[in-house]
Amino acid sequence: MAHIVTSVLENRPVAQDYYELRLAWPSWAPAPQPGQFLTVRTVDGPVPLLRRPFAFSGFDRADSAASIIYQRRGHATTLMTAKRPFDPFDILAPMGNGFPDPGSGRRPILIAGGIGMGPMMFLAERLAQSPYPGILIIGARSGQYLPRVVLSRSVQTILCTDDGSAGRKGSAIDIAREEIRQDGCAPELYLCGPHGMLAAGHALAEELDVPAWVAMEQTMGCAVGACMGCVVRVHGGEEYARVCMEGPVFDSRTIVWT
Amino acid sequence: MDLSVRIGPGTLPNPVGVASGTFGYGSEYEKLIDLSIIGALYTKAVTPEVRPGNATPRIIETPAGMLNSIGLANNGLAGFRAAKIPYLRTLPCPAVVNVAGAKGDDYAKVIEELAAEDCIWGWEVNLSCPNVKTGGLALGTDPTEVEQLTARLRKLTSKPLIIKLTPNVTDITAIARAAEAGGADAVSCINTLVGMVIDTKALRPVLPGKTGGLSGPAILPVGLAAVYRVARAVRIPVVGLGGISEADHAVQYLLAGAHAVQIGTANFIDPTVHQKVLDGIRAFAALHNLKSIPEFHQFID
Ligand SMILES: Cc1cc2nc3c(=O)[nH]c(=O)nc-3n(C[C@H](O)[C@H](O)[C@H](O)COP(=O)(O)OP(=O)(O)OC[C@H]3O[C@@H](n4cnc5c(N)ncnc54)[C@H](O)[C@@H]3O)c2cc1C
Ligand SMILES: Cc1cc2nc3c(=O)[nH]c(=O)nc-3n(C[C@H](O)[C@H](O)[C@H](O)COP(=O)(O)O)c2cc1C
Ligand code: FES
Repeated sequence: MAHIVTSVLENRPVAQDYYELRLAWPSWAPAPQPGQFLTVRTVDGPVPLLRRPFAFSGFDRADSAASIIYQRRGHATTLMTAKRPFDPFDILAPMGNGFPDPGSGRRPILIAGGIGMGPMMFLAERLAQSPYPGILIIGARSGQYLPRVVLSRSVQTILCTDDGSAGRKGSAIDIAREEIRQDGCAPELYLCGPHGMLAAGHALAEELDVPAWVAMEQTMGCAVGACMGCVVRVHGGEEYARVCMEGPVFDSRTIVWT
Repeated sequence: MDLSVRIGPGTLPNPVGVASGTFGYGSEYEKLIDLSIIGALYTKAVTPEVRPGNATPRIIETPAGMLNSIGLANNGLAGFRAAKIPYLRTLPCPAVVNVAGAKGDDYAKVIEELAAEDCIWGWEVNLSCPNVKTGGLALGTDPTEVEQLTARLRKLTSKPLIIKLTPNVTDITAIARAAEAGGADAVSCINTLVGMVIDTKALRPVLPGKTGGLSGPAILPVGLAAVYRVARAVRIPVVGLGGISEADHAVQYLLAGAHAVQIGTANFIDPTVHQKVLDGIRAFAALHNLKSIPEFHQFID
């Protein structure tokens, strides 16, 4: 983890309300892994006050560039849409724990929804170069929310929408279930997206009796483990775990799903 | 310029500390910040028993500030001993343990059991916790109770004893005088202000506990006025905090009568804030030819 004051290389829309921001990555800075995140200070002044967390959507040491995909939601993300090349970008990174490798003989099934697409694309690219490439399933409400991002040819991608306006019709979880059945593989699930989707992914993993890894979200204060602000309920003695330290990636069986 | 600060029997190397609950136990920040420049590290509150903390969300941003409802989440005395004391022994700056509880016995227990630990420079007693005796009203709102509790804790320790004051009272100077009468070496103020945010879509408060503690730039003028008044009501040193995010804010606290300051919420935002504040205090002292911290107090009556 380091304090990195870098600059924006590119900031472009990739779907309705979604943007991809590429930033220069200094050679001394540690390499981010899929699942890890950065926190950005969007202004110099006190409004918005807190740094905002975003998962990495890509990293290329050769290009000296890292990227995030973010959704315009409130004040901070709206300000981010106005960032231009060469604008300073003040981050703490890389934070948290990334996704683990799949167990031997398991086929990774990556399920992304909404703001979860960035980290899942990053993971899919990584796995595509590994001995265990997976399937990336990206779900959205409707076609305009699907990302126009070019992934490597080796990444097997399935797009789907709730309303069937683009890709296959159905939720990402339904598509995952079909794919797993047809493939007959022993899957391992990786999920990032809305809470309901993560909970459904966990239920699917339980039903199939396979492992699932979920990237959790919680409002953050410090992002370094100091404030106890970013917790989620977990099973076992500790009761709560910090998303910024113990997470953001958790074994879905440790989470208390509500 | 002599930056050191005397508090009771102890001396701090410089006046710029980091506030309880915003800096963990130091290890969390060691990769980002040179801890040797910190004047005092006030730990997260320690209570006798483990406290898992409050339901989520625990944090919500407000205009130029934030509300928190952490619920004093900590690993209790035993956990602190096992997991934090070994680290505090390696700290390159003084460690002040922030003590909390629901009743007087809790505070006494924490101080008694940790009294022999050499790595603890002193105590900061957090009196803003809901009091079981008064049915949830903060312990630090009744001068008589504050004086009694301070006197009780005074007997348990010869280390610097700092009473941390809540701003959620009618007259903060009455509480400060009670702490002084009880034998405190210093008072620190302010803790967070009670605040609330309502989600107008969901039609409910954002924090499950409905209200939380307001901190950050928004409370700077409140903390400053509290320090100004308290510094004129007591003879013991005052540690000022609330909303400091740049050097000028810290200088304002020193001018208002503080002997030292703490940086809280700003730790979350700017890992360079401590160095900037220290540099700014030095530059101000040089400009006005000040030789020590008490000389900051000569300008404002
Ligand atoms: C580990 C992690 C990874 C994330 N990765 C991504 C990502 O890759 N892409 C993406 O678009 N979004 C991501 N988010 C969510 C993103 O941080 C929020 O959308 C952003 O903070 C909203 O800020 P805002 O000011 O625009 O909106 P606001 O109006 O302030 O808030 C909108 C919502 O964002 C969330 N939020 C607000 N402040 C914080 C905070 N300090 N910390 C965390 N969440 C907050 C809350 O749920 C809030 O309801 C991630 C969050 C976490 C915790
Ligand atoms: C997340 C958080 C946790 C806190 N926890 C404690 C605590 O355990 N004990 C305590 O005395 N004060 C606690 N505080 C209060 C701070 O120490 C400080 O008094 C307050 O935040 C005002 O300073 P600031 O505006 O610089 O943050 C906490 C504040 C925050 C934001
Ligand atoms: S955000 Fe402070 S502990 Fe995670």
